[in-house]
Amino acid sequence: MDMPRDTTTEALDDAPDEALLVLYANGDRLAATALTRRLVPRVLGYAARLLSDRAEAEDVTQEAMLRLWKIAPAWRTGEAQVSTWLYRVVTNLVTDRQRVRHRRAATTLDDAPEVADEGRGAVAGMIEADRMAALDAALAQLPDRQRQAVVLRHLEGLSNPEIAAIMDIGTEAVESLTARGKRSLAAILSGQKAALGYEDEE
Amino acid sequence: MQDRENAMDDLDALFGAARARPAVPSDALMGRVMADALALQPAPRAVVAPPAPPQGLWRGVIDFFGGFGALAGMGSAAAAGLFIGFVQPTGLSDLSAALIGGQIDSLSLMPSVDDLIPEVTP
Repeated sequence: MDMPRDTTTEALDDAPDEALLVLYANGDRLAATALTRRLVPRVLGYAARLLSDRAEAEDVTQEAMLRLWKIAPAWRTGEAQVSTWLYRVVTNLVTDRQRVRHRRAATTLDDAPEVADEGRGAVAGMIEADRMAALDAALAQLPDRQRQAVVLRHLEGLSNPEIAAIMDIGTEAVESLTARGKRSLAAILSGQKAALGYEDEE
Repeated sequence: MQDRENAMDDLDALFGAARARPAVPSDALMGRVMADALALQPAPRAVVAPPAPPQGLWRGVIDFFGGFGALAGMGSAAAAGLFIGFVQPTGLSDLSAALIGGQIDSLSLMPSVDDLIPEVTP
């Protein structure tokens, strides 16, 4: 799977998503590589935050990208951004999986990833890793829609209208979801702060 | 309320730190996605050549003389020759008289052949 990194691939790295998708649909293999390299990390990052299960997030990523490859020849340029379309697909795929999960009702807070307990006096990288684990654990406790809105707004850095399009709701609903989600997160994390031993570092 | 504001600030800092750590997909996942991409990719759009014109007898004749342009030149030259032959313009007879010199009664097309004859006959 090694492609020669010549000027052509570098030019492709600067091209907009949509242009690459058109090239892909015309049979350009380098465009396939460029799109994969660019989009998979974003899609995986978002899916992993929603699912907090790496293997499941990878499956969702592959499925979302598969749908992109399939729609590429019929893609209507100028109608939607590729990234927004992908976020929407991932959100729907994750929602479907979470519905199945909730139906099983097997997963409770017991299954939330354990927060490492060696915070006090640990090296900086370790503390950072702990903080990320704490954030993921706190996100996992939010209701699904709140988690989606918070992740899209604060971790993927999207605007409220974009999130509204992705989640199929109005912008007021997005604002309400992100505000509530953020409040809950802060409450969960401040509850955990004591346990992690961070309050005496400030 | 101070605690709550601190908690929100901490949260924003945490979001910033999380944004700075993008997900790193495994090589296996990248391979799976690339395999799908190539399997589903439409074949490169071939540049279709215009259909070749039918190769008939006339085409062969025209090509033999060097294409339509050359044939048109030859055609107009032939038409001009035919016209001059029929019309016999007076100016042209004057010109030929001046060039050749008066009325020609006989013309030896192979002037040297008489010289050869005595040598051949014993």
